[in-house]
Amino acid sequence: MTTLTTWIVTATIFQPLISGAIIAALPQTEKRLVRGWTFLSMLFNFGLTVLLYALFDPKGPEFQLEHRVPWIVDLGISYHVGVDGLAVSLMLLTGFLGPLVVLSSWSFIESRVKSFHLALLLIQSAMLGAFASLDLILFYVFFEGMLIPMYFLIGMWGSEKRIQAAMKFFLYTLAGSLLMLVAILAVYFLAQPAGSRSFDYAAFYNSLSGANRELAACVAGKAASCAAMSPLAQALGVYGPWMYLAFAVAFAIKVPMFPVHTWLPDAHTEAPVAGSIILAGVLLKMGTFGFWRYAIPLFPVAAQQMRIPFAVLAVVGIVYGAMMCLAQSDVKRLIAYSSVSHLGFCMLGIFALTAEGASGSAYQMLNHGVSTGALFLLFGWIYERRHTRNLIDFGGIARSMPIFAAFFLIITFSSIAVPGTNGFIGEFLVLLGTFKSTKLPMWLAVLASTGVILGASYMLWMVQRVFFGPLVQVENARLRDLNGRELATSLPFVVMALVMGLLPGPFLDRLETSTRRYLARAQVGLDVQQRDEDTRVTVLPLSSPPPVAALPAGSSAQR
Amino acid sequence: MDGITLQHYLFLAALLFSLGVFGVLVRRNALVVFMCVELMLNASNLTFLAFARDSGVDVGHLPALFVIAVAAAEAAIGLAIIIAVFRSRGTLNVDDIRTMRL
Amino acid sequence: MLAIVNPFTDPYWGNPENLANLLWVIVALPLLGALVCGVLGKFMGRANTNFVACFTVFSSFVLSCLTVWAVGAQSTQFISPASGVPVRWALWLDLGRWFSAGDFSAHYGFLVDRLTAAMLMVITGVGFLIHLYSTEYMEHDDGYPRYFAYLNLFVAMMLTLVMADNLVLLFVGWEGVGLCSYLLIGYWYRDTEKAWAGRKAFITNRIGDFAFLIGMFLLVLLVGATEQMGRETALGRSNFTDIGRARAWVTTVHDQGPLNVEVLREWALRMPPETAKGRPGMNLGTTISTEGPLKGKTFGNVLTAVLLLLLLGAAGKSAQIPLYVWLPDAMAGPTPVSALIHAATMVTAGVYLFCRLSFLLVLSPTAMAWVAMIGAATAIWAALIAFAQNDIKKVLAYSTVSQLGFMFMGVGVGVFWAATLHLVTHACFKACLFLGAGSVMHGNGDETDITRLGGLRKEMPWTWATFAIATLAITGIVPLSGFFSKDAILHGAHTTELAGYPWVGHTVYWLGLFGALCTAFYMTRLYALTFEGKRAADARTPHAHESGFRMVFVLVCLAFLSVVGVVWGLPELVPGPGGRKVAVMEGYLAPALNLADRFASIYETVKHVESPPWLGYAIAWAVALVGGAAAWLVYRWWLPARAGKPLPAPIALFWRWARAKFYVDELYDLLILRPFTVLSKGLFKIVDAGLIDGVAVGGTAAVLRRLGGWLRYTQTGNTQNYATVMALGLLFSIGVVLTWVLR
Repeated sequence: MTTLTTWIVTATIFQPLISGAIIAALPQTEKRLVRGWTFLSMLFNFGLTVLLYALFDPKGPEFQLEHRVPWIVDLGISYHVGVDGLAVSLMLLTGFLGPLVVLSSWSFIESRVKSFHLALLLIQSAMLGAFASLDLILFYVFFEGMLIPMYFLIGMWGSEKRIQAAMKFFLYTLAGSLLMLVAILAVYFLAQPAGSRSFDYAAFYNSLSGANRELAACVAGKAASCAAMSPLAQALGVYGPWMYLAFAVAFAIKVPMFPVHTWLPDAHTEAPVAGSIILAGVLLKMGTFGFWRYAIPLFPVAAQQMRIPFAVLAVVGIVYGAMMCLAQSDVKRLIAYSSVSHLGFCMLGIFALTAEGASGSAYQMLNHGVSTGALFLLFGWIYERRHTRNLIDFGGIARSMPIFAAFFLIITFSSIAVPGTNGFIGEFLVLLGTFKSTKLPMWLAVLASTGVILGASYMLWMVQRVFFGPLVQVENARLRDLNGRELATSLPFVVMALVMGLLPGPFLDRLETSTRRYLARAQVGLDVQQRDEDTRVTVLPLSSPPPVAALPAGSSAQR
Repeated sequence: MDGITLQHYLFLAALLFSLGVFGVLVRRNALVVFMCVELMLNASNLTFLAFARDSGVDVGHLPALFVIAVAAAEAAIGLAIIIAVFRSRGTLNVDDIRTMRL
Repeated sequence: MLAIVNPFTDPYWGNPENLANLLWVIVALPLLGALVCGVLGKFMGRANTNFVACFTVFSSFVLSCLTVWAVGAQSTQFISPASGVPVRWALWLDLGRWFSAGDFSAHYGFLVDRLTAAMLMVITGVGFLIHLYSTEYMEHDDGYPRYFAYLNLFVAMMLTLVMADNLVLLFVGWEGVGLCSYLLIGYWYRDTEKAWAGRKAFITNRIGDFAFLIGMFLLVLLVGATEQMGRETALGRSNFTDIGRARAWVTTVHDQGPLNVEVLREWALRMPPETAKGRPGMNLGTTISTEGPLKGKTFGNVLTAVLLLLLLGAAGKSAQIPLYVWLPDAMAGPTPVSALIHAATMVTAGVYLFCRLSFLLVLSPTAMAWVAMIGAATAIWAALIAFAQNDIKKVLAYSTVSQLGFMFMGVGVGVFWAATLHLVTHACFKACLFLGAGSVMHGNGDETDITRLGGLRKEMPWTWATFAIATLAITGIVPLSGFFSKDAILHGAHTTELAGYPWVGHTVYWLGLFGALCTAFYMTRLYALTFEGKRAADARTPHAHESGFRMVFVLVCLAFLSVVGVVWGLPELVPGPGGRKVAVMEGYLAPALNLADRFASIYETVKHVESPPWLGYAIAWAVALVGGAAAWLVYRWWLPARAGKPLPAPIALFWRWARAKFYVDELYDLLILRPFTVLSKGLFKIVDAGLIDGVAVGGTAAVLRRLGGWLRYTQTGNTQNYATVMALGLLFSIGVVLTWVLR
């Protein structure tokens, strides 16, 4: 427990915020200075996340690098941050995308540059904080904190219908989050005894786990245990599904799952490039991460009862999202719907309750960040040149921008899961896990597998309309290919797509620690061997609060 | 006749208060509304003093002194606002001063 | 380093087993070539790019020759991890874990046995020749860096496919060649039609890949169920009584992964069919009792399902019914691409897959029957379409589909060696035919319509000679290679009886004979219309010019191989399994395919009736001659004599249908593509834009707005209204307090 291990997570979370404070002091007109400073801060932040990743020991305990400080003691809220395998991987993804996002908007954003970069840094902090929080109120604060800068990113620097899109995005996600807040408070009051309540994740989980086990035994049909349930287990039996739904709806909106997905196409279409990359790359993972960390482990019995409908929704997301892509004429909208389709795979893997499925889902979260982030980035280059998103306005671009076409093709292949790219490993493991699952019917897995055909059909259709065919429009012939900065920004995505596809070992190792425990917690009550250490959450204990200063004698506080 | 009892004072205070409330709710001239507010304050003062006298508590009339001070301050500010409103709108009819409607 | 050691006497290099360490180089070289050509091609210049591309493939060819030498050596063997038993005449290299999750694992591993060695020679040999041909054919094209990068990448992917030691890595190569096919078919992407052809190929392949994936998953489940029942049930434990070997198998299932070929071989050894008598324990007729999606089904049924799914996957890649529709359209790509990918290598991947998994296939006669019948049906169907096509490349494309049908027939009746032999010989003469067609196009201003050609015999002598030789080979005329390979398949079909499907063998034989007849007919037609007779009046150029040295050289090489390849097919020459004398190829491939043969004979799923092949040869030869002669007569005598007169009605009807490819593409479009697009657009309008956005989201907003509109009226702006409400509220609260709370 050195200073480094204690403070590294906090430093990673708050460093962008501090850099942002310095930006606020810079003059408005010095655009290059602002951009350069933000880029350097993001690069430094990426370095910190890499350090974090390296410090995380795949063979160590579940939550590492923890830091816990009492915050609002009377309510049981502490500033508690720490990472597990999935969280540290997602933080690495966030750090990776940070500097690239700044580079993507280098020549694109010309007005209110200071505020723009400030917003970027704020979102970075909020996202990192949400992944690292181990206290539910802290998580909620960061979760909501992401919405405001994102609202401004879409609403101020977006395209024509940006205000409506920003409003829709904000209200939609806020509605879900408020439900989650209600559920958090419900668990706080119901599950914990009056004197020692806390919002800590371990407290939440451990207080519910016993009740969950009893409830699971009752649901499994052993009548005797139903009578012997504790009052908490009974309350959980009645209210559990509602609380689970509250969490699930909040995260389902974020994922987004069908049918609460319609905010995503609008948000993506109107957002600037940086906004789209952040949204697709990290924000959407909040939803899947929420299911993984909060919704399912806290309410495994309710989750099991509702597993089939949710899995069906995930598969509907895969197929429906793909079909929607074929009906689009706006490129960014098409990529947005493809996000819905890809994250359907993630959700399916989460609900399959097998090791392969869960690992595949976690890996797919990382893949999607890289490949869809890259798609939006690459499309951003061309949007900067042509200022149109309509498919009709393109055609034959491969002639004038061959390097760009090559990069786009490689990323397309990653998106449609061609073996050798990262997408294949994620989809393969998810589908294998779904087939292996004893809880999901096989026709669901077969239907999900048709996603590979549909994915190829819509992506290649888009590629054909944009890149191939005759060069009809005059403007397309005069487009200049990627310059050095654009090349340098796009290259890391392409490299990561191939590296993650050919050498996924290091990534999968760190995810495996998280996968094992997620499975153990999600399968509470099912006839599966569980190790107690896998199901119990152990975190740092709260350091004792500083002693309250004694009141001066003779005060007027008479009773 | 039993003399003037506490109830008489309370009854008078209640009557004055009701008159004040009625005036605040119904009268159209802002100055008159203010005068009715003063009436309400005086009615509550009367109540305080009546109870103070009746219960014999040493400091029972303190609230009344507070109310007088507060009423004076409030009258000063309120009259300043009324003068500003009259200067900008030229009318003191409360029915006409309703820009805060939706 | 090789200069100072003598590879034949040095103890390290003299030992052929050590070649296993270099197996990865065979794949790495073309991969590196692809990268160099793609990124640096424009800077290097045309000559250098040509050199790099050809050199990498040639080096792989040299290494492949070395591996052939290695797997031919007596001493070459490796210890199989799944059984602990040495596997002879094969090399194995495990490069480490690729990925793993839960119980599943996949490795980067290369396995080269004699089957792979044969494929390696074809891929690198014919591949090198086609690279050489391309350097001249694509002389005038500016996109050469891209072209050679794709071509090298293709070779690398195909090599990965044949050298993979597990199905997942095979799938990498499988999809990789599909990817390169997409890139190369749509090479001239400025033409929308050509780009669409590439997309059609990829998506049709993907449908096959979807089936392949599901087959793989079911196989994983099957192996897992076997292992679990072997651990938990008494019945299962009796399959694993040989402790050491069983333990090796279980360890390897978890270490190398359940889809490793060695693991599957051991699995097949432990799971005999139900009919095998005297074996205690589980067999393919046992019902699976482990929890999971397979519960309640028998092992055999699941295995058949797996094989049928793999058949669908192979049908996608090898252009069989119902997924052959992409191959004719793939002719939009450059001709060398058609020769390499769509004749010699990629399309043979399906045949290779079944040969590699032959030991699984023979355990399921149902699957074999399906494979054989689909192959036979495709052979006939494609041949009939080829009758009426006028585009030289389309005829050859349908011919490829038809010949692949033959190979599938061979696989389906259990003569895997014959299918492989036909694969090898077909690669040579079909590549020769395609490249000859390319030469014809090159010399006639890119004319592909054979009704506008003719009389090229004198103007393009080299092309004519090689094309003629290749045509004779494909029609199956003695003593060229095609005769023996095709006839081996027919003979195998005639003498084979599948357990439970005794009619399949004979049906396939007669259909195959008819297919051979058709092949002879349409190939002779093609030859006659292109090379014989007078030059057509509406030809594009007045004279044809012969192609350059490089192209001619390659044509000659391939024609030579078509002739010389007969050596491999000569029957009853070398000692084979069971002591009888067999064909050269059968003897060569015996170590690789012996497990399948053993299963077939022990479990009697595939019964061979021995009979002398000479009668069959005579019949086949006669059939080929009849077909060829018929075409010659029709096109050199009958039709010119009837010039101007319309064809007899039934023939004209058939011709029209065959020209239109029996309207299969239109049928697919009507039944699948168009409804799907309409459904997508409809769903978008109704559900997404309509129901969700319109009713739910927009509706909520509208309701809230309406509600707000009503509530707005309470904010009158009139202070006295507010005060009234406050007063009333206060009164009400006091009343409540007095009456209710303080009761």
